[in-house]
Amino acid sequence: MKKLVHTLLAASAAVILPLAPALAAPASDTIVIGMSTDSSTFDPPQITSRDNSNIADHIFGRLYDVTAEGKIVPQLAESYTVSDDGLAYTFKMKDGLTCEDGEALTAEDVAYSFNRAADKKNGFTGSTPGFIFSAIQFKSAEVVDKLDVKINIGTKTPIAIGLLTEVFLHCKDSYEKMSLETAASKPVASGAYKLVKWDRGSQIVLERIKPDGGTFKNIIWRIIPEASTRSAELIAGNVDVVTNVAPDQIDTVNKSGTAKVKSVQGTRRMYVGFNLRKDFASTPGGAAIQKADVRKALQYAVDVPSICTQLLNFECTRATGLVNPPNDNKSLTPYPFDPAMAEKLLDQAGYPRGKDGVRFEIKMQAPRGRYLNDANVALAVGQFLTDVGVKTTVETLDWTSLYTPLVRKHDAGPLFFLGSGGALWSAIYDMTDLAEVDSGTNYTSWNDPDFFGGWKDIQNAKTPKEQEDVVNRMLKVFYEKGPWLLMYFQPDFYGVSNRVDFQPRRDERLHVFDTNLTK
Amino acid sequence: MWTFIIRRLLQSAIVIVGVTLISFTALQIGGDPTYLYVSERASDAEIAETRVRLGFDKPLYVQYLTYAERLAHADFGESLTHKRPAIEVVLEALPATIELTVFSMIIAIGLAIPFGIFAALHRGTALDGGIMTLAMLGQSIPNFWLGIMMMLFFGLNLRWLPISGHVPFLMPLVQGHFVQAIVSLPQAIYFLIMPGIAVGFYSLSRNARLVRSSMLEVLGQDYVRTARSKGISETAVVIHHALRNAWLPIVTMIGLEFGFLLGGVVVVEMVFSWPGIGRLVFNAINQRDIPVVQASVIILALVFIVLNLIIDIIYARIDPRVKL
Repeated sequence: MKKLVHTLLAASAAVILPLAPALAAPASDTIVIGMSTDSSTFDPPQITSRDNSNIADHIFGRLYDVTAEGKIVPQLAESYTVSDDGLAYTFKMKDGLTCEDGEALTAEDVAYSFNRAADKKNGFTGSTPGFIFSAIQFKSAEVVDKLDVKINIGTKTPIAIGLLTEVFLHCKDSYEKMSLETAASKPVASGAYKLVKWDRGSQIVLERIKPDGGTFKNIIWRIIPEASTRSAELIAGNVDVVTNVAPDQIDTVNKSGTAKVKSVQGTRRMYVGFNLRKDFASTPGGAAIQKADVRKALQYAVDVPSICTQLLNFECTRATGLVNPPNDNKSLTPYPFDPAMAEKLLDQAGYPRGKDGVRFEIKMQAPRGRYLNDANVALAVGQFLTDVGVKTTVETLDWTSLYTPLVRKHDAGPLFFLGSGGALWSAIYDMTDLAEVDSGTNYTSWNDPDFFGGWKDIQNAKTPKEQEDVVNRMLKVFYEKGPWLLMYFQPDFYGVSNRVDFQPRRDERLHVFDTNLTK
Repeated sequence: MWTFIIRRLLQSAIVIVGVTLISFTALQIGGDPTYLYVSERASDAEIAETRVRLGFDKPLYVQYLTYAERLAHADFGESLTHKRPAIEVVLEALPATIELTVFSMIIAIGLAIPFGIFAALHRGTALDGGIMTLAMLGQSIPNFWLGIMMMLFFGLNLRWLPISGHVPFLMPLVQGHFVQAIVSLPQAIYFLIMPGIAVGFYSLSRNARLVRSSMLEVLGQDYVRTARSKGISETAVVIHHALRNAWLPIVTMIGLEFGFLLGGVVVVEMVFSWPGIGRLVFNAINQRDIPVVQASVIILALVFIVLNLIIDIIYARIDPRVKL
């Protein structure tokens, strides 16, 4: 039998090997990244997803950049000034910039990039016109002189500069000549790399065009949808970095000897929302969570670090609010897991256990397959709450078809599990989920005046210190009476080959400009 | 013959209408797709505007009629995620799937016939038992699991085959880049081996059993005995007398096989990162990219209908007793 197996293997090898090129690791001037989804476009104002944006980051330059630590630093612009009323940002561009085709990149191109994205005739639906421009109420961009460009916005907001860093720049002459279809597939780079090949569904190949733009001459982004296949490619040495390693494959990768998993606490804030809309109060559970004391009691009922360790394969620190560290309120400590305290506070709030041990019943809704192990996390939270007498029924729903419409209409609840993207560069950016009582993203319909009154004080703050004090005050209110059962910042898992020294960032940006071969 | 073809084409048109109706309704009842096309922070006004712009505010029958009217002009609409014509997205993915399907069909048919004949000729021997046990195994193993196992063994441990990926052959051929297509053929085959086997193994097993039973039936016929008694060589008896008469069910099987394999590639395309129509449909369903799903389903239905028509015609050519 053994001989037969060897014969069959030898025969297979004889057939296969002549077809095979050498299965070798990527060349020393090339880094290969495995990701789950293909890009849909390279026309900057159409880009929506983070994966797409990560590749575009290497092709297009921006006015300012955000570092891994959340610091906003100049990129193609060298400085900026803000008008007294906070409605005009004037950027001074660096001199001598060019695009891939040699065209000079000046203030005119910056203004064109902004105005083209806003032009309704183009029908762009990406993040720039869809989110950034509506958040800052973009009005227009105008050329002041060769290197100075003024961006006019409709609302004074401290997060405008951070949002403006998201806008990709491109050269006017080349894009004016292009159809929208061409612009989507054949970008003219303004950044460090240019697109040389896009085999849709398979791979995207970039080549460095600026000598000091990045360590590697070539970046290959391979599209590998299946997590286990990505891990296998990484272990085999065919790929240097892979995104979204499944938690159950972490040990396999770490034991492979060829790669390691690097985990990082992301900026996405995971929480269980208390929907405080009045019509939910018609149920016993919906009525109970209207009381801030009950909400606070439930914070003690859930063992968040254990959920992280057991279900996410990650050691986490529980969140104290809706702001990512290091911009959070440092005086606040995470609620500990203390079921006795939870029970005591629930008793004091007027919800003693009944004869059947139940204080009140409540329903929790959660998505399935949207966040890391979301359904199981929701079930665990439900069990923790049930353990302190709050009998919780967990309903998991398909994200796209059922859960999203519910959340958007503020119909999810009375308890609902959700994640919200955050950032490192501003506490206020993270807080804009609750910018107004009527905000679309105030899914809990929370309306505490102590918190929402703070927004006016932020507007009126004279100094960053004053602003920080107001933020901390608001975060304290949120901590004490807020509409979120505080959970964790979702971790991200990257598989990294021993060949490279890639360092993941917290903000889901995948930049390899500074990545090197390991020595 | 022509009457038959016209009749079949008319039947096909009814099938296509049915396919569009079912796929359209099935996708719409999942909920309001507008939310996929607005940002997380979109206001109610933006959501409403998007709903109107995409036509999702209209009654379902109006949405369907609008779609059918466009379809009549070969307009499948624009992909909501790719921002390009849906038909373009689908046709771009189709060659990769056809490569995989044809390759797995070669495995499923090309190996099944010799295996089946061999088993039939050695009925009751250990070899027959071995082939049939393997065939039973092939019908019991899910193709994605087989794919993953091959990936781990041949890709990761032995490093003989690529773990995932695709080298296009058909696309350059269709685009007229003949030299590029020919040059890339060995590489294309190299990347096809594992996904091809994963897709085709179930059919190979089923077909081998079918060929065996079909051959056994024919080998017992009087005319085969007569042929042998004339002193004709066993090879000639098998090929000219037995196989020729066992051929009809095999041809029928080939026609059905292509459709079956086309439907079976979805999971394998995901596992092997194969940029074909199966993966496209899977992603489009997840993203509720309705135009792409509808275009894919209709194109696949068309392929299936055309193939069945061809098989019917071949069937009549092989067996003159079959009247069209």
